[in-house]
Amino acid sequence: MTSTSPQLTGVRLLDALDASGLTGRGGAAFPSAVKLRAMTKRHTAVIVNACDGELGAVKDGWVVANHLDELLHGADLVRGLARGAVTFAAHRGSGTERRLRSAGVDVLDAPSRYVSSEESSLISLSQGGLARPMTKRSLYIQGGRDSTGRRIAPTIVLNAETVWRIAQIAERGPEWFRRFGTASEPGPRLASVGGYVGRPVVVETQAGVPVGELLAAARTPADAEYVLVNGLGGAFASIAGVSSAAWSREGLAPFGGRLGPGIIDVVDPRRCPLDMVTELLAYAAGESAGQCGPCMFGVPELSGLWQQYVRTPSARHRRALDINLGLLPGRGGCKFPDGVAGLAVNALAVFADHITEHAAGRCRYAARRTA
Amino acid sequence: MNEILWYTSRATGIVSIVLLTYVVVAGVIISGRRRPHGASPTILMALHRWIALGMSVFLLLHITTAIAETYVNINWISFVVPFTSGYAPFQVGLGTLAFDLMIAVLVTSYLRHRIPERRWKGVHWLAYGLWPIAVIHGFTLGTSNEWVLRLITLACGVVGLLAIAWRINARHHDRRRRDVILEQEWS
Repeated sequence: MTSTSPQLTGVRLLDALDASGLTGRGGAAFPSAVKLRAMTKRHTAVIVNACDGELGAVKDGWVVANHLDELLHGADLVRGLARGAVTFAAHRGSGTERRLRSAGVDVLDAPSRYVSSEESSLISLSQGGLARPMTKRSLYIQGGRDSTGRRIAPTIVLNAETVWRIAQIAERGPEWFRRFGTASEPGPRLASVGGYVGRPVVVETQAGVPVGELLAAARTPADAEYVLVNGLGGAFASIAGVSSAAWSREGLAPFGGRLGPGIIDVVDPRRCPLDMVTELLAYAAGESAGQCGPCMFGVPELSGLWQQYVRTPSARHRRALDINLGLLPGRGGCKFPDGVAGLAVNALAVFADHITEHAAGRCRYAARRTA
Repeated sequence: MNEILWYTSRATGIVSIVLLTYVVVAGVIISGRRRPHGASPTILMALHRWIALGMSVFLLLHITTAIAETYVNINWISFVVPFTSGYAPFQVGLGTLAFDLMIAVLVTSYLRHRIPERRWKGVHWLAYGLWPIAVIHGFTLGTSNEWVLRLITLACGVVGLLAIAWRINARHHDRRRRDVILEQEWS
């Protein structure tokens, strides 16, 4: 370390994290200091999640590729508080996994699929189980049991960017951190901007910047029309509407979006967006862990009903789709069905005029392709 | 008096095995049903529970009278400790064994809301052990050489086995879907 200022550790680090207002960068935005304090009460295993599990996420891999030393330092600081082993989770076969292995750290290679990089999936996998979400009957930070009665040792899962930020705050202090972002969402943060762009990038940015600035950083072409914010559990927005909006909780709220894991995916304007949603929902249907009815039956059903509705948007097909969408949220063991249903509800609103086109037997995107 | 005890013991024994078989079959159907609809699952569950309770009354009477009557020598200790009877120690012991297992099943069921579901279920599986033991006890000990009684016990065995065979082959569409997904890469 080249810094001359003394490193913050232990209780003073926790206080600094409190003062900084750092929240989890995996998407849930839970206050990191609260989580770490809960962890210090007992010996806790640590999993640093660098899976980039959400569709379009690349930022945690970027942290591993570009700031590995600081990430490892952050992990050491957390280990000091947790008094347990530290493991780095990455998707099996990914470049991130290779980089972590060559750094000589303990790597948990998770199957490269959607729900496997979820917090409780990683905990289950790290303790010899399958990488499938567990019912959160207790907080696994305190340890507990899975649904089959298997004992789960106390484990904390922290997003890789979060751990990197911890190292930065320990070195530069909370005042430095608070210089970035907004009062309610402070600190520097990463955004993954990709899809139909000139140059997919991870932008080092902060809450409150205009979304258009992030799109410009990735050289988004002028003909792009829509973005998908935060992947499968996210929301669509028209670029015309969202680019002047602030990239923050308040700025994205009118679009049904949030900062989440910081993903902006530009939708290909040469393709029918309804077809794209069909593909996303079909993908979601195949990603169920097969543990709860709403997920293993409801999500495939949603996928089928959506396909039927966008092909022939009749009132009857819409009713069937609405019934499914009303039944999915709040019923699974994890929030996967909720996120997928939310995406479909959002797409119905954002692409309403295009659905009308389909109902009239036209699709301007199909015309565009043949032109 | 002794004769009344003896007849009561025979009668309550045969009633117990019939009721027990009903309880087992109802339980098998409850656990193996594919798509429960309407009130039928509630009714079936209520019958399963209440007939199990009713059966235990006949069973207690059967055991008490069997020990109390003096044609054959069965001690009170045989009420709960298997294979201690002076008379037909093995066959009577089977009855005691089934009774002990049944106590475990009944007690855990009355405490079901206070113990982990998987514990309750684990103990409830004992039913698949206790029922055949009880049937063998009834069939081999049929002391009254009444072919009707033997036939009833035999019929109970056949009906129960048919139900269990159905249960083994009954597949929830739920279970099937779980198995298909489980074959994917999860670890």
